Amino acid sequence: MNVLSKTLAAVAVSGLLFHSTVNADTLEIGLLTPSPIADVGWSKALVDGVDAVKAKYGDKVNINIIENIQEGPDADRIMNKMVGDGNEFLVLGSFGFMNGGLKLAKRNAKRTFLHASGYKTAKNFSPFTAKYYEGAYLMGMAAAELTKTKKLGVVSAFAIPELISTINGFTLGARSIDPEITVDVIWINSWFDPAKAQDSAKALLAGGADILFSNAQDTPSVVTVGEEGGAYVFNLNGSMKEYAPTKYLGVVKTDWAPFFVASVDAHLAGNFEGKNEWLGMQDDVVVVDDWNADISAEMMAKIEAKRAEIVSAAVHVYDGPLINQEGKEVIPAGERLEDGAILGMDWHVEGVNSPLPK
Amino acid sequence: MSTIEFFLAGTLSAATIFLLAALGELVAEKSGVLNLGVEGMMAVSAAVGFVVTFESGSHLLGFAVAGAAGVLVSLVFAVISISFLANQVASGLAVGIFGLGLSALIGRDYESRTIAATEGIAIPFLSELPLLGPILFQQNIVVYLTFALALCIGLTFKYTRLGLAIRSTGENPHAAQALGFPVFLIRYCAVAFGGLLAGFAGAYASTIYTPLWADGMIAGRGWIAVALVVFGTWKTGRIAFGAILFGMVSLGELIAQSMGARIPSQLLSSLPYIVTIVVLAMISTNTARMRLHAPFSLGETFDGVGPR
Repeated sequence: MNVLSKTLAAVAVSGLLFHSTVNADTLEIGLLTPSPIADVGWSKALVDGVDAVKAKYGDKVNINIIENIQEGPDADRIMNKMVGDGNEFLVLGSFGFMNGGLKLAKRNAKRTFLHASGYKTAKNFSPFTAKYYEGAYLMGMAAAELTKTKKLGVVSAFAIPELISTINGFTLGARSIDPEITVDVIWINSWFDPAKAQDSAKALLAGGADILFSNAQDTPSVVTVGEEGGAYVFNLNGSMKEYAPTKYLGVVKTDWAPFFVASVDAHLAGNFEGKNEWLGMQDDVVVVDDWNADISAEMMAKIEAKRAEIVSAAVHVYDGPLINQEGKEVIPAGERLEDGAILGMDWHVEGVNSPLPK
Repeated sequence: MSTIEFFLAGTLSAATIFLLAALGELVAEKSGVLNLGVEGMMAVSAAVGFVVTFESGSHLLGFAVAGAAGVLVSLVFAVISISFLANQVASGLAVGIFGLGLSALIGRDYESRTIAATEGIAIPFLSELPLLGPILFQQNIVVYLTFALALCIGLTFKYTRLGLAIRSTGENPHAAQALGFPVFLIRYCAVAFGGLLAGFAGAYASTIYTPLWADGMIAGRGWIAVALVVFGTWKTGRIAFGAILFGMVSLGELIAQSMGARIPSQLLSSLPYIVTIVVLAMISTNTARMRLHAPFSLGETFDGVGPR
């Protein structure tokens, strides 16, 4: 299907030959995803988000999804077609859609664009990113209670700030409960290599880790290894509990619905303003869920208390004192790491064993 | 399981994907046909094997149908390149890319689904041995069969009339035809056999090694298999050795990271490919040796009439 639609899209775009007729009363919403839409994973979370818009507005909106679009020139052509087809509100689901999307946004001032993971903004172009590290911190607390070897393992895609800050949040959470805990990280340098992800997870288990964190792997590769290998495991974006019925630690879910709905509201009201949307638990975008029943009630109470503190902004995951891998103090007690430093994070906190690839 | 046990045991099962596909490619190349569509054949078969295993619950059936799918895709290539005399490189690439797209289509509704893996077979007594037991004698049956198959193929090429027929077809199809060998039939069969093994490799990848389906999961392993054939200078033993080496490098990278090695992971990730380039460069420096082992008419189309 996606092959077919890709081909059709490519053919259609060459000259924007056939525009679909657009009913003026309905808002056409276009979503472009970088990977196939499965039952779980990143693209599914985006689809759930636009579905929530549909649920609110019903017949007043029409959702058009094109999935599995590689970043690059193909994506630019397909975005052009989506605009040509009359989509007034576009959600671009991957970092690599940024420059092409921004160009389109500048040419189409009346249309609204949301763009995942980027950093460039325009009046009608908002990048959005989740503060995964907030949820990962809470997962770290739970992991600290359940680990016996005091060693946690992370299978991670690319060493980009978003993923680094998530690992650091996880480590800080775990060490807030038990400072002896250390974290091993394997970078597989791929968003998408389930075989490598599974091998990495097994290597971490063989190295003594008994908790696994699948950092931004879109398939349940690591999660199934956790269940088979008897290690608690959690992941990001969407619940994979069914792949690890007994060993699922929980999920750091992204619920884009509130953000997408609010953005569509603003678009319809004519007061949408493009800005950097960095969303966390206080925005109800990052949600921790599906906790394992093995976590004690006492720990769950602690986690809930910490969650409330983070939501109320009384506490921040990156409050000082923060010590880096080399043992140097980055932020002294009483201070807080700036947002910019988190968004550009390129260092690990103390407790992470593995060096950061540079 | 200790890290070293995991490393060595995992190496053999990782090597199996490479070895299966490379053996198939070896047979095709020995008959003079360069099939660059391995990656695509593996992808199609991985998707088909997964879907069949998922629906039927039978790994055996999954393997059988995946093998058949590999044969079908390879026959598309064979018709184009052997019967219609199209350029082998171009048609191989085209069929390979077609296969990648087709696999996405077949696996469309099964994205990110998982199945249960088969258990390894523990060989009595031997599997109880310390260290060696878990490494050598608790592997999946496909691992054992693959290495046995490598031995069979090596012996076939060396000692049998069939092996001679395939080799002479690859060295000089005109002479082979003059000797009465059915060159077209041999090439068709060799390519189909390559498709069969690529199909098994794909099924192994999606139903046993990583029992889940995800579009793009072959992730370049078919290309490594193609490189392995050159790496092993068209000799079965060396190809098997190369497959193990590649399995080792691909796993060793991950283990080095988990043990906190201070080497950039990007460098480690590219190690298998760096090794390929280095070895290819080393082999190619000696043109005489290269010519000695490469099937002489590899990659050349054969129209069945007239001498060159």
